Amino acid sequence: MKAHGKKAITIVTGCLGSGKTTLLQHILKEPSINNNTAVIVNEYGKIGLDHHLLRQAEERTILLKGGCICCNSRADLEEELKELLYADESGESPFERVVIETTGMADPSPILFTILTNPLLQHRYIVDCVITTVDAKNGMLQLQNNPEIIKQITVADKIILTKTDICSPEEHDAILTHIQSLNPSCVIIPAVYGKVDPFIIQEASNVDRLKVIHSLPSPVTHPNSNVSSISFSFSQPLDWTAFGLWLSMLLHANGEKVMRVKGMLDVGEDGPVVLNGVQHIIHPPQHLKQWPSHNRESYLIFIVRDIDTALIERSLKTFQQFLHTVATTCELTTIY
Amino acid sequence: MCILCGEFIMQVHWTDYTDSTDTEITVGNQQRIRQRSRLHRANLCNQLLSHYRLTLEEWNGSKFILRDAKGNAEIVHDLGTIWHHVEAMIGYPIDPLDGSLLDKITERSSAQ
Repeated sequence: MKAHGKKAITIVTGCLGSGKTTLLQHILKEPSINNNTAVIVNEYGKIGLDHHLLRQAEERTILLKGGCICCNSRADLEEELKELLYADESGESPFERVVIETTGMADPSPILFTILTNPLLQHRYIVDCVITTVDAKNGMLQLQNNPEIIKQITVADKIILTKTDICSPEEHDAILTHIQSLNPSCVIIPAVYGKVDPFIIQEASNVDRLKVIHSLPSPVTHPNSNVSSISFSFSQPLDWTAFGLWLSMLLHANGEKVMRVKGMLDVGEDGPVVLNGVQHIIHPPQHLKQWPSHNRESYLIFIVRDIDTALIERSLKTFQQFLHTVATTCELTTIY
Repeated sequence: MCILCGEFIMQVHWTDYTDSTDTEITVGNQQRIRQRSRLHRANLCNQLLSHYRLTLEEWNGSKFILRDAKGNAEIVHDLGTIWHHVEAMIGYPIDPLDGSLLDKITERSSAQ
């Protein structure tokens, strides 16, 4: 992700007991990461158990006061990030990256909102990557019982499938299929005891791993939830101004229900525009200098809640006269 | 900060980001491209806003002015705020998924 001198932020989220801390413990053992990474742990309740487990990061770990990160501590997170900036610029403890570990029940979108809209933070930090840990053994149960995990999965750029050593192949396949259908654009990485490549906390550019299948148009609806997804591909470069008009209007009217929008769009420039949004929040779109792969497919994914995807399809196809392109409903699969 | 009106602009709307890594546009440099894109945006908005009997006018490369047929006018900074002003003027929510709006757009394009 283009940083322009901004400090990168990695958000680690996931259900209670899904292995966030174990993952972070492993990642922070890597000396090159540990030396220049600050960690903000969002402790739930009074006992900072997670904090004491993260020994490697103890010096720079700041406990947020006030419980859940999304409900009470938005200002706290803002303050902590500002204090970290002060510590960095005063030379007290320089760092390049911040890892924010959320509570198991946290909705990650207020964190993105705080960072992307705060007048100071938006110029000094960039959200580089959102990682969600999903328990392969109990994931299906959690998906049924905890609605917040659906939000955490849809927001993720990378999903770490934990406890793959103790789950059965059926459980593994079931959760994998479910995650892929909930968030077709994420990278899924299996892990045992949090052992993964520590550098996964960097860079969320997984856009070239997607493959557009034109022959199988199918809006996907998920059992046990009112979440559904739809993908489009575009045959010609689209008018970026007109697209901005349509999407800003859509998010204004239905932002809370659009859980995720992600796309790589050919707008007639040398490279594509990478679009990434969560509810009302759209990351500053990246205008790439060139296409990341030979596959110059332009695509757009919507993951929505309580919206009939057929309506989105109809609206986009009606607006395509402004977009100067032809949108086709398609299916996206991740290439491994 | 806007040097004309003194408005403190806290947020750059995502639709205003360009492929340029420059954070400032100096007079003359890319000015024409920027102005052309603002006029294009106003033109596209007008095609849509005509369904609500509203118009949008580009103003000095700085703001947009939203007007209704009764002479009411609102200064609009970007696409992040325009829809709030549109709803305030017409008195009901707008939605691009609204079937009647889509019908009107289709009807007009087939008539052309």
